[in-house]
Amino acid sequence: MNDVAPEILAVIDDLQLRYINALDSQDMNTWLHTFSDDESASYICNTAESAEAGHQIALILDDNRLRLQDRVTFVTRVWAGTYPEYRTRHLVQRTSCQEIQEGLFEVESHVFVSRIPADTGRAELFTTGVYKDRIRVDEQGACFESKHFVMDTSILERYLVFPL
Amino acid sequence: MESTRPDSRPPASSVVWPAKINHVPKEIFVSNELFEEELKRIFYGEEWHAVAHEGEIPNIGDFKTFRHARVPLLITRAEDGSINVMYNACSHRGSQVETKPHGNKLEFECPYHRWLFDAKGSLVGCPAKPGDFSDTFRKEDYPLACPRVAVVHGLIFITLSDKTPPIEEWMAGWTEQLGEVLGGDGRLRLLGYQKVVFRSNWKIYHDNDAYHAPLLHQAFRMLNWQGGKGVQRADERGHRGFRSELSLPRAQTLLKDASLIQYMNNEKSSGLSVSVHLFPAAVSISHLNSIGIRFMSPISVDETEVHYAYFAHADDDEALVRHRVRQSSNLLGPCGLVSMEDASVFHRLYTGSHTPGNAVFQKGVGDEYTMPVEFSQNDESANLPGWEHYRKIMGLKQEEK
Repeated sequence: MNDVAPEILAVIDDLQLRYINALDSQDMNTWLHTFSDDESASYICNTAESAEAGHQIALILDDNRLRLQDRVTFVTRVWAGTYPEYRTRHLVQRTSCQEIQEGLFEVESHVFVSRIPADTGRAELFTTGVYKDRIRVDEQGACFESKHFVMDTSILERYLVFPL
Repeated sequence: MESTRPDSRPPASSVVWPAKINHVPKEIFVSNELFEEELKRIFYGEEWHAVAHEGEIPNIGDFKTFRHARVPLLITRAEDGSINVMYNACSHRGSQVETKPHGNKLEFECPYHRWLFDAKGSLVGCPAKPGDFSDTFRKEDYPLACPRVAVVHGLIFITLSDKTPPIEEWMAGWTEQLGEVLGGDGRLRLLGYQKVVFRSNWKIYHDNDAYHAPLLHQAFRMLNWQGGKGVQRADERGHRGFRSELSLPRAQTLLKDASLIQYMNNEKSSGLSVSVHLFPAAVSISHLNSIGIRFMSPISVDETEVHYAYFAHADDDEALVRHRVRQSSNLLGPCGLVSMEDASVFHRLYTGSHTPGNAVFQKGVGDEYTMPVEFSQNDESANLPGWEHYRKIMGLKQEEK
């Protein structure tokens, strides 16, 4: 991690904070804009149990840019008004960062997500896990080429509207 | 066929069922007393329960553990290729033997006193010096105990009762349709799981799972995706299922990646949706190219765990496997385009069931005192024969008309 310049790390951390801020504000368009415009941009959410077993099924499998755009449609249009509202709070801590190609970084972070359903008003620890990200840094700033959230929990609580 | 067994036991609760067949007392969804009786009469009683599919444990030594209504099970494929289902509790003092959800090994050791079992449950080792154990102790008398097991199209069922009728009789009329759901011949290859816990009663989950609710699922309307031609069947044992030809929208602008609702590999049909729901809660569904089995386990009156297992067919090429993975992950599970709302509505129904009165079924109900026998695709009434079966098992009194 020490090989990566502090100013690069600052840009990477800023991207991660914009990402969790977008989710906790339930702003799906800003969420989408943290990803690369490249058609292979992807977001995958699965469990550590699945990942370790080599299973391909995920909880969310948005493995191209079109599916990322469709995810915004699911949340903001298709599911609008059908689910009990809830708040989330994400905490994230970068644990490793490596430059694998010029301008492309493999970054891992620990994640903690609490959820507060509006109907109960009680906080629950929704899940913890690891972000395994590929982040592009250039003159325009930083964006995710891919984001993979590996949940520590193998059982999902109730349902999932917003990505994590 | 006798549809429901005579039950000489006293009523499981003082709840009185309304005379109208389309009224279900909400109290049954929230009564802890009834839940404990349901475990005895249904989950440990005279029904079969799906706990795994052979495709989940394809190789010698593969195993899966599963909690069936609190009862821990160890499901293995032994050296001779046989499928074995055992209680996951040591024959010595009852300690849980295996704790991993799945894996591959042919010996299972209980760490408590190092009793060692093979993949068929035989006790093959137990450290002891001469004279340590009782005079009559013989290893062959201490295998892991087993429930009764039956396999249909690769789907592994258990029953904890000696009195349960043979599975052919129990699921008469459904075997062929189950085969159609499970890839035609049941030769399935596991793709993975989505596991979820609903904060709801198991009966709410089962009553509403995969029941077509076009008003809830806005995706169908927004995709201009009408149900197409379909039939729904239900019988007096509480089994039900549907079979629909889906008419997929010719032009849709909602999704940018239309592969989510595309149907590969069959030019004769624009897509099929077939399901079998076996009482109390063994659900298998194939929808477009997604093949899924939902293994349900009631945890408590207000908690229900469901493992959505997804499969490919053993003969699929890699392109079809990939399509199944991409469709299954995002279409029908707890985060799926057309099903996320199910998961959230289960909780609302549970919360609402603490109010007095009855849940009322309307769609497809004619005379409120006559059990219907024919059902259209979206009728709620197909759930009613199952409710009558439930009422009889639980011995609940019914009001006079």
